[in-house]
Amino acid sequence: MDAVEKANTERQKRWVKDQKVGEGTYAVVYRGREASTNRKVAIKKIKVGQFKDGLDMSAIREVKYLRELKHQNVIELLDVFSSKTNLNLVLEFLDSDLENIIKDRSLVFLPADIKSWMAMTFRGLEFCHRNWILHRDLKPNNLLIASDGQLKIADFGLARDFADPGYKMTCQVITRWYRPPELLFGSRYYSTAVDVWSVGCIFAELMLRTPYLAGESDMDQLKTTFRALGTPTEQDWPGHTKLPDYVPIGQFPKTPLRDLFTAASADTLNLLAQCLVYEPRKRISAKDALTHAYFFALPYPSHPSKLPKCAAQITAALPLEELDGNTLSGKTNRLKRKLSSPDDSTKTRSTVARRLDFTKPTPGS
Amino acid sequence: MAKTPLYEASTQFKNWRYSPDSLASVRASLNSAAVAVIRNTFESDEPGSSSAVSFLTPDEELLLVRLYISKIPQLCGFFHFPEEVEATAVSYLKRFYLKNTVMDWHPKNVMLTALFLATKTTNNPISLEAYTNNIPKTSPSDVLDLEFLVAQSLGFEFAVWHAHRALWGIWLDLQSVPDAPRNRATTHADIYDAALQHVRASRLSDAELVYTPSQIALASLSMASPDLASEWAASKFPPDSPSVPGLQTTLASIRALIESSVVPNVEAVRAVDLRLKLCKNPEKVVGSKAYLAKKAEDERKAEEKRMKKAAEATTEGDPFGDELAGGPGGIDDDDDD
Ligand SMILES: Nc1ncnc2c1ncn2[C@@H]1O[C@H](COP(=O)(O)OP(=O)(O)OP(=O)(O)O)[C@@H](O)[C@H]1O
Ligand SMILES: [Mg+2]
Repeated sequence: MDAVEKANTERQKRWVKDQKVGEGTYAVVYRGREASTNRKVAIKKIKVGQFKDGLDMSAIREVKYLRELKHQNVIELLDVFSSKTNLNLVLEFLDSDLENIIKDRSLVFLPADIKSWMAMTFRGLEFCHRNWILHRDLKPNNLLIASDGQLKIADFGLARDFADPGYKMTCQVITRWYRPPELLFGSRYYSTAVDVWSVGCIFAELMLRTPYLAGESDMDQLKTTFRALGTPTEQDWPGHTKLPDYVPIGQFPKTPLRDLFTAASADTLNLLAQCLVYEPRKRISAKDALTHAYFFALPYPSHPSKLPKCAAQITAALPLEELDGNTLSGKTNRLKRKLSSPDDSTKTRSTVARRLDFTKPTPGS
Repeated sequence: MAKTPLYEASTQFKNWRYSPDSLASVRASLNSAAVAVIRNTFESDEPGSSSAVSFLTPDEELLLVRLYISKIPQLCGFFHFPEEVEATAVSYLKRFYLKNTVMDWHPKNVMLTALFLATKTTNNPISLEAYTNNIPKTSPSDVLDLEFLVAQSLGFEFAVWHAHRALWGIWLDLQSVPDAPRNRATTHADIYDAALQHVRASRLSDAELVYTPSQIALASLSMASPDLASEWAASKFPPDSPSVPGLQTTLASIRALIESSVVPNVEAVRAVDLRLKLCKNPEKVVGSKAYLAKKAEDERKAEEKRMKKAAEATTEGDPFGDELAGGPGGIDDDDDD
């Protein structure tokens, strides 16, 4: 056997694949464990043989970046091995994602919880940017949550590096609702600011519990954005009317964020506004965001272990033995989720957060 | 440079740096292991048949690899690939032959595969058809068949730090050192270009497997302009810094490597290549007797494993209810093993 093949077999033996837990566009994900320690892992199996151009670009990007990035708030790639013509990524196992948590109506978010998630997101993002890596697909579904509450940036299938300033890139990245206006206008010279816009949208969504700028088409996305934040003037954003896909969208007045985010503190709104600045060069950087007054003001960020968890996570936190044979069907999960009615959780968590009145309709909806 | 600490966390720094001695010993042991295996295959096919074979030496293998490294810039020129692609493909080819030998895998197709993979990993993808259609006597399967092996040999570590990037960083630094002459970038552009040529020449050598990208960039700059190189070094290290004498020695070694790196003589390589036809691993030659025998053996083992698994599934019952529901195909939706 070749040395390369032998090394691969050694690696493969370290990991045991258990049941399938999910399926993405180009991969099937299994729950598994490390044979020697029983540590729980996720094994993402990417089929290679099916692409006429060989190894798929998303898989290549994901492996390339995760191989290099090691940070508490970035999902850890533990190993890579191949089996026949499949590529297997061994990832740390993460129980849930921020989208699940936002959607779980039984959970109440305190301002301190939101601050904690935002701090972890910015820490992970600052690390990516420091490594010259743009994520380009930040959204709640790609912010995974570990059993200890740590938030991890995942899904680097669209990431790329930007060390070459002014290098042309495609504008067709980032799921629409989290896409900044410069991309919607077809700008091909963009940078870290695109990720910061997405984080701004996530920040707003954490407070609103519903997507902040939910456009129905690319054009509607611009309209929704401008309706919420006002149509940019030449002074707000010099040169934007010269962007390749610029079209006049209509004149919408600027309404103070305060009108929608009625209960948010001044610091909160200031940071949010700085993430959603139209002119990409004036948008706050992840690094500066981390030293923003918001993170130093009261209330302090919740400890990750104290953050709200959804039912699936509570189940997942049980020891492995108790789970065998259950997670695949998801029967236990569904059961538990039903049991935890909104009343249950408001009893255990303070209701202060309810004073944040986010029941007003979202713009554009 | 701001990048340095990050570079030190990279897979390149951790897994792809060697001393000249360790490089030599890696290559020697790969070579002798391959010779032993191939000799054995010859012997089991026909006792005594290996004694007449003259196997390649590690240096001859390297010569062949170097020739194919030198073809990468030509292909990149043809396809108008950016420098990043070229440099990355060269690194992949070198790294591949630190895990494999030329006697198992001929560098021609490995080179083509490394280049194709590099277009993707640097985010400059091109369709496989457009790629192979433009390369004589090459079909998509020549690349597809090897792509996975190449990726695997690289340990799926696709990110590469390059000296030409580091040179650009040094060049930017030089424009911002205190009292740097204005317009230096334009008035000294020829120096930058000359330094870049030295960086490119270094790709034919082992420099990147031994030294850091910044060291190679600085050595290249010092060949184009010793003054600018000293100026940059002085702005980074105080004159009495303990790292200065060491740096000078390092730079001198790199310069020597660059100066001695030439494209191998085609006639010499041709002779090696002719001998390679006689000593390459028959198990890797598609269609040969040994290849078919190995394939049959692999398939027999796989079948045995499948049978065993199926037997276990029926005797123990499936602990995970719904998996059985899929019928025979559902026993193992995990088709790898
Ligand atoms: N690290 C992980 N730990 C636990 N479960 C995971 C992990 N990664 C993925 N999963 C599960 O597998 C599913 C598929 O993940 P994957 O990243 O392949 O695709 P996706 O993000 O859902 O979709 P897309 O491919 O469109 O981005 C996820 O929805 C999740 O349920
Ligand atoms: Mg995803």
